Amino acid sequence: MSDASLIDELPGELLMWVLIVSELLVFGAGLTAFMGVRLTDPAGFAEAQSHLYRTGAALNTGVLVTSGFLAARALRWRHAARRGAARLALIGAALLGVVFLIIKGAEYAGKAAQGISYETHPFFLFYYLLTGFHAAHVLAGVAILLLVAWRDDPRNIEAGGQFWHMVDLVWILLFPVIYLLG
Amino acid sequence: MPRFFFARPTQADRLTRAWAGLIALSLASALLTLMPVGSRPVGGGILLLALFKARVILARYLDLERSPAWLRGFTLVLSTFAALIFALYLV
Repeated sequence: MSDASLIDELPGELLMWVLIVSELLVFGAGLTAFMGVRLTDPAGFAEAQSHLYRTGAALNTGVLVTSGFLAARALRWRHAARRGAARLALIGAALLGVVFLIIKGAEYAGKAAQGISYETHPFFLFYYLLTGFHAAHVLAGVAILLLVAWRDDPRNIEAGGQFWHMVDLVWILLFPVIYLLG
Repeated sequence: MPRFFFARPTQADRLTRAWAGLIALSLASALLTLMPVGSRPVGGGILLLALFKARVILARYLDLERSPAWLRGFTLVLSTFAALIFALYLV
């Protein structure tokens, strides 16, 4: 099989796949650095991690995978010429993105109320950096989902969905490392 | 037996199953953290479940099941990443 045909096998926009791989590499490097720095103070990292709001973060996993489901469904519906259903699914996916950000905001507010900042411990520097960068992607994803709900060409919906699934994928990898591996 | 028992699932069915699988795997991760076993097996289990979830997202949401070679490639890279994270966790 030639390289050209292998690349042609990728579903959706090639440039979105370049973005997905780039983002996975960036977050992968960040999480690996996090685990590397953890080696210098495992007890301190475990203590710092105990201050995290795990239930909210687990809830956010359910919120994002459900949102991703709606975004994937929207593309199928658009291909079936069910434009109204596709638009509603995309708006629903975006609203769940907003729910994710509200829960994340409450988590950050709780940390601030406890006097915890990125300077408190190296753990929190990585925590704010990685979860904050991810939250910025969620914010961008919400805007993209609303944009493709408006300009609902199937190719637009597919590209917007790819971005949103990338955000989902990064969270699936980030959540266990930051919140659960104590 | 009725014919629909042998019908191939539609794309919509496969998406719904993928979503249900992701929720089930997330619940399994939460339950695993409550298990009265050592932190190392729990850590390994949590990473394995995360890997399964990532594969479901790649295969079904991102539609890589239509391109098995790419799905295998992504799975290999993510498995290597999970193994590296687990090795750092065990040190």
